[in-house]
Amino acid sequence: MITTELVNVLFLVAVALIFARLFGYLFYRFKQPAVVGEIIAGIFLGGIVLFVFSGQQFTISNYIIYLPRFDFQSAGFILLAEIGILLLLFISGLETSLSKLKKTEKASSFVAIGGVLLPLILGALSGFLLGFTIQESIVIGLIITATSVGVTVRTLMDLHVLDTTAGATILGGAVIDDIIGIILLAFMISIGSLMDAVWIGVRIAIFFLIFLYLALKVIDKILDLGEKIHLPNAFLSFSLAILLVYAFFADKAGLSGIIGAFVAGILIGQNVRSSKIIKDVKTIGYGFFIPLFFVWIGSSLWGGAITDISTYTAIGILALVIITVSIISKIVGCGIGAKLAGMSSRESLQVGVGMIPRMELALIIVAAAISHDLLTGNSAHQILVTTILLTIITTLIAPFLIKATF
Amino acid sequence: MAKRNKLITDFYECTVNQLMDKRVWDLPIIVEKEDIHHVLSVLGARNHIWVVKDKESKELVGVITEHDVLSILAPKHFPSYVFGMPDVSSIQHGTAKIAEDVMASQIINCKPDDKIIDALMKMMKYKLRRLPVTEDKKLVGELTLHQLIRKYYGATQYHPMIEDEEG
Repeated sequence: MITTELVNVLFLVAVALIFARLFGYLFYRFKQPAVVGEIIAGIFLGGIVLFVFSGQQFTISNYIIYLPRFDFQSAGFILLAEIGILLLLFISGLETSLSKLKKTEKASSFVAIGGVLLPLILGALSGFLLGFTIQESIVIGLIITATSVGVTVRTLMDLHVLDTTAGATILGGAVIDDIIGIILLAFMISIGSLMDAVWIGVRIAIFFLIFLYLALKVIDKILDLGEKIHLPNAFLSFSLAILLVYAFFADKAGLSGIIGAFVAGILIGQNVRSSKIIKDVKTIGYGFFIPLFFVWIGSSLWGGAITDISTYTAIGILALVIITVSIISKIVGCGIGAKLAGMSSRESLQVGVGMIPRMELALIIVAAAISHDLLTGNSAHQILVTTILLTIITTLIAPFLIKATF
Repeated sequence: MAKRNKLITDFYECTVNQLMDKRVWDLPIIVEKEDIHHVLSVLGARNHIWVVKDKESKELVGVITEHDVLSILAPKHFPSYVFGMPDVSSIQHGTAKIAEDVMASQIINCKPDDKIIDALMKMMKYKLRRLPVTEDKKLVGELTLHQLIRKYYGATQYHPMIEDEEG
């Protein structure tokens, strides 16, 4: 039996999809990334749901009208959003070519490393100074490490600077720091869930040994089977099944399902037939699950529902500090990396500025940290809101800053 | 009817070596560091190019088809989300400079000893019209659907399926 709550989720999903696309298109028209529009659609819908559809009733003459109750935080909606995250990371993995990665310029690795270390350290430090626990502070540091490839590539393309040394280095750096961010997230989650470092090491080793071995031995055969079964899209179904199994076991190994999804994506991406399914996976992901994730994260802005002024002040100060730190630490960290790799001062500045935008991974990291109880209660809400503001603001101002330096 | 069936079975049983185009010097081959304009000039006349590491070793590293060039010739558009490593090679943005930037590096190949039936199945499975024939990664010839059609049709017209060693 489908419960009322689940039926309500159906309607909520429909509204979420429509608004995500509408707001996304509006932003696209104003030459801004559609993703920002989708998050703002989430904030908008989240507000409406909270203030209008959270179980109110009112009377008109003698009739009592119950407004339906909608909730973005219901289990059904969260599940869809979580699948969105998994698909996002799976696509990321599918599109990451290890051979191309090896060919990226040395400068990109320097930039990525500088651009991870400094934000991580400075972010964690500022969190700690603002009174967060060590664990929460590390999460804050991690949130500001990963540059958004999507936002940078679009900006660089609009400015026609993709073919410059700085442009190529920024793009390579953004790709590499995403991967470093995912690996650090894996460590953070496993260390957060159990403090015994040796045991974590063993579990991670077991996960990778079994699953890389499996990948080499079995994945090809399973995919072959998917191909031999002459049913429509059997190959796609098998790939998605592999993704979910990897996510499940990665979570059981204490690594978070996200890592499993990414690893599954990379492994299947090495298979010569993967090009056939990438398009289908994107259709499923981009068309349904991934917008739901962005709407859901936007709607979580209202999650705390504490309305006294001091909370807003605290969030305001935190956001101001973290956004400033995230911008400066990227410019300095990546700039130093670029300089060490032998680029000119001007190019180093361009690279540093180009690495400012944060988007997908920052949101994924904060969502994962909350679902793994690394962030709880009031500070979880504060950090979440800060992250949402961080992604929107860095994404909107970065193009202007990049334009100014090029 | 029986004869026709035997013909196709014989055709399937031939080896790639017997039917492939062995005139390697005549195949469209360029090295991976070749300028993109050379790629365009060759593709103006041919449907595909085999990309090799260098002219001496003829180690096959990629293939470029018309479709690959379409993706660098047409204006770039990214979907609303971009994850992983976006493909940014484009003539408009100056990011497609050499053959390596455009080529597909995951190659489906066949070996001289493979049977024609297996080569056909591969073409079917991967939706390809041509296969490179390689021996230890070295390009030794190509097998095109075009050739296979001609050879088979020729055989139905009482021409020998396998000609004497050609030039």
